[in-house]
Amino acid sequence: MFSYYLRLAWISIVRHWGLSLLMVCAIGLGIGAAMTTVTVNYLMSANPIPEKSEQLYYVQLDSWDVNDPFDDGLNPPDQLTFTDSSNLMRAQKAFRQNVQAQAFGVIEPEDPEMLPLIVNGRANSADFFTMFNVPFIYGSGWSNQSDESKEFVVVLSKETNDKLFGGEDSVGKSIKLEGNMFRVVGVVDTWQPKPRFYDITTGAFNESEDIFVPFHLIADEKISRSGNTNCWKPTGDGFKAFLASECIWTQFWVELKTEQEKEDYLQFLNAYVEEQKQFGRFQRPVDNRLSNVMEWLEVQEVVADDAQMMMAMSFMFLIVCLLNTVGLLLAKFLGKAPEIGLRQALGASKATLFSQYIIESACIGILGGILGLLLAYLGLKGVEGLYGDYMQGLASLDTNMAILAVGLALISTILAGLYPTWRACNIQPAQQLKSQ
Amino acid sequence: MLVMKNINKIFQTADIQTHALRDFCLQVNEGDFVSVTGPSGSGKTTFLNIAGLLETYTDGEFLLDGEDVGKLNDNGRSRMRNQKIGFIFQGFNLIPDLNLYDNVDVPLRYRGFNAKERKRRIEENLERVGLASRMKHLPSQLSGGQQQRVAIARALATDPRFLLADEPTGNLDSEMAKGVLTLLEEINQQGTTIIMVTHDAELAQRAKRTIQVKDGRVSELEIVSPQMNQAIA
Amino acid sequence: MLETGLILRALARNKIGALLIALQIALTMTIMVNAIFMIQDRQQQMQRDSGLDEANTFYLTNTVFGQDYNIQAHLQTDLHMIRNTPGVIDAIQINAVPLSSSGWSMALQHEPGEDKDAVGSAIYMVDEHAINSMGLELIAGINFTQEDIELRKDGQSTWPAKTIITKAFAENLYPDDWQSAVGKTVYISQTQPMQIIGIVKALQAPWNGWNGVERSMLVPFHRESKGSYYFIRTEEGRRDALMPIIEKALAESDKERIIRRVTTVEDTRKRSYRQHNATNKTLTTVVITLTLITGFGIVGLAIFSINRRTKQIGTRRALGATKRQIMSYFMMENFIISAIGNVIGCIGAVGLNMWLVSTFNLSPISFELITFGVVALFIVGQLAVLYPARKAAMIAPATATRTI
Repeated sequence: MFSYYLRLAWISIVRHWGLSLLMVCAIGLGIGAAMTTVTVNYLMSANPIPEKSEQLYYVQLDSWDVNDPFDDGLNPPDQLTFTDSSNLMRAQKAFRQNVQAQAFGVIEPEDPEMLPLIVNGRANSADFFTMFNVPFIYGSGWSNQSDESKEFVVVLSKETNDKLFGGEDSVGKSIKLEGNMFRVVGVVDTWQPKPRFYDITTGAFNESEDIFVPFHLIADEKISRSGNTNCWKPTGDGFKAFLASECIWTQFWVELKTEQEKEDYLQFLNAYVEEQKQFGRFQRPVDNRLSNVMEWLEVQEVVADDAQMMMAMSFMFLIVCLLNTVGLLLAKFLGKAPEIGLRQALGASKATLFSQYIIESACIGILGGILGLLLAYLGLKGVEGLYGDYMQGLASLDTNMAILAVGLALISTILAGLYPTWRACNIQPAQQLKSQ
Repeated sequence: MLVMKNINKIFQTADIQTHALRDFCLQVNEGDFVSVTGPSGSGKTTFLNIAGLLETYTDGEFLLDGEDVGKLNDNGRSRMRNQKIGFIFQGFNLIPDLNLYDNVDVPLRYRGFNAKERKRRIEENLERVGLASRMKHLPSQLSGGQQQRVAIARALATDPRFLLADEPTGNLDSEMAKGVLTLLEEINQQGTTIIMVTHDAELAQRAKRTIQVKDGRVSELEIVSPQMNQAIA
Repeated sequence: MLETGLILRALARNKIGALLIALQIALTMTIMVNAIFMIQDRQQQMQRDSGLDEANTFYLTNTVFGQDYNIQAHLQTDLHMIRNTPGVIDAIQINAVPLSSSGWSMALQHEPGEDKDAVGSAIYMVDEHAINSMGLELIAGINFTQEDIELRKDGQSTWPAKTIITKAFAENLYPDDWQSAVGKTVYISQTQPMQIIGIVKALQAPWNGWNGVERSMLVPFHRESKGSYYFIRTEEGRRDALMPIIEKALAESDKERIIRRVTTVEDTRKRSYRQHNATNKTLTTVVITLTLITGFGIVGLAIFSINRRTKQIGTRRALGATKRQIMSYFMMENFIISAIGNVIGCIGAVGLNMWLVSTFNLSPISFELITFGVVALFIVGQLAVLYPARKAAMIAPATATRTI
């Protein structure tokens, strides 16, 4: 019978093509709009490192002004002072730990014909690469020993390696960065976590870095730092004074394997803050936080307001489209009252009729879903074009989304078809069979 | 065999009660050709709707082929309509979206015949009404008489025991009407019981038996069976 | 209207159909009004004056990588060279560019001390050429002089003794009389005194999303830093021609630095408001499509209901109804449904707005906008029903007598 209903649905859709087109377009537009915004939100809130997002924690300490809390007191500061992150680093209390900041510098290629290169960099600890599962084409990250002995080592991005070494294995070679020679220890394969969770403060959807260098180089003034700096207390003169200041500009991540380790680490942080209080620092109440990757993205509101607002709007849009479909289906099915009466006379039960008309609704839903998928694809292309870099890589449909689109269309159309179908099944045959 | 005993049908709206059938009694035997006449509003259509299981009755007893119709639910009535009854209407009631083949196919689908069987029956019955060559046409491409023939083919496709016809010639000119009636007589001769509602006295007389309905009652019987005599008495 | 009662009774018999259209109109209204509101909000933000001569200004970054590089000497040569290029009006070194989204902020307070209230402001480190180079308008007080300009080293924590602030900032510091700000002493970095010597009409901060975007201050500094911007203003219409000339001249004069990101202020504005623009375009598309869907929905349902009533309409015509009366029947029917939809829609629009206000910090909607929404949807409804109503009016009276 299923194939028979499909055939009847197809005949009905084709015969009343105007009405069908209207419904398919309405559902297609609704699904298209909803899927476009859902995809953007889905990718914005995606887990960038699902395999260990529960074990990576971002550290926050409330070192702020006792008179004027950070973020109106809603959250502790989003970065740490150099003093605190250095102390935490030295303590080595976590399974792995990484202090980092954004950096930049100029590379002078050996080849005098090549122009110097300004690169965006990240100054970080050795653990960065293992903590965040950074993939390598050549070599690896540097070791903790390299950090301790303050070696001049560098990890290049694939792109930078392509530019400087034509994509060859450059491990062991040297580059001149900010006037100093650095030894290449590794080349990162294409790596672009979305969101770029390890540093939200400089843009959750920014590109990953061109080079990675040891964090201590910043303190030694061998490389310039960039990124956000926030101060609440005047600093003294000079870079030494700045490093010792209460300005926050470093980020600190730890890897903790179990809930127990997390508890212990929090204890350690609390003890650390209590200790610092004795030096007159941390005058605010203790408010130390450990947020895992997804919690941190949530706290930092990585999903833009605009995206959420659009999603809310698009779902209302979908509802309008469905109301439209309910109305049109109702019109269509009630228009078939004589046929329904006749089918009953010829032996169709209510259940049979119900199946027939629900299948017809579902067919329209699937057509609408396919159109919606196409429109969502165009919509995402449009979003990418309109928003530019900001949405780069955030506007792509995967299989999950495609299935969701058609599924959503199917389910919502079946829902929209329920009432009209119910009405159709309850048509009294006797009244329909009499000719007028 | 169709037996109705003291069937009442009352239509109830907010403030009006209409008694469409009052203690309606009738027996139709196997192989009969009964015509039902009566003035407009007499209840003959209500009788046909109840006989065809399209409508339920308020009280009374109705046996179709020995089965108590009052005990059937909606599904059961649908099955019985499909298996035992064929309908022919004044307005033909072909499905405009479907071609002739698919129109005749409708009751066969509900019956659950396999594709081969359906094809055989459709072709056979369209052949029988002389429209086999036009099975891919839509109803709108046919004349009224031809449409009614398709409706008859559709009604016969399931080999029903009873054929219920409501003014089958009402929308046809007299020439076509005669043709349709001849066809019905043939069908009756092959064993199908026919009940035909009509207000055309000339047509009614061609049936084996004529009954008249007046004010919801069977008021006159020309050929009276012994059992029915008792029932009325 | 004589027929209103008749229409109401007919609608009451087909409640669901009418209700579906009314709900659709209501939701359309809800979304439309709020979307237009959001569009207007963004447009207002985009129309704020940056204070700059946007059409004739551009900037570039100057990144020094040479070691033992005399930054100060090169700065003087560079500025001298740029300022003397024919077609250039003036040029400065600056630490940040308005609307570029990266910059520097500090807070000023009336009294010195750690626990005093302070008002944040964007900081632009410039020399006495700033007003001319950026195309600002000095509306009170005086400009810096060459003697005021100090050399700032990276990491320096002391500030110059003078500043020029924007009118919006002055209004914030001295709400009663912004002009009185001139000559007043305020404190930067909690304790360092600074005298306000002048007020410019407008100059936006680098961050367009910041609620203090109108608050900026100029401080007389030349920076001895490895990275800085040169901000250049040209004569009318010569900007595009001069951009590559100046880039080349700077790059060739000195091989120990990189000149990059030669950008016009117009492009910076575009980039800065790209999200705003994109969101507005998306919302506009939503509003238009939604209106179309609702319109077509009305057309579809009206055609259906007219097809179903063909015989009835024919009978009315046979009984003497004019085409006009038939048309007006359907127009009136739509008007009544629209009215119901609009009433629900008004409630919905205000409700959605209240949610947006509480969730996304939007401001409340205006009454005018709701009125606009109501009128617009009445018009859409009437236009949508026009074609079906005409079709109905064309039904021949003879239909009444035809069977089937």
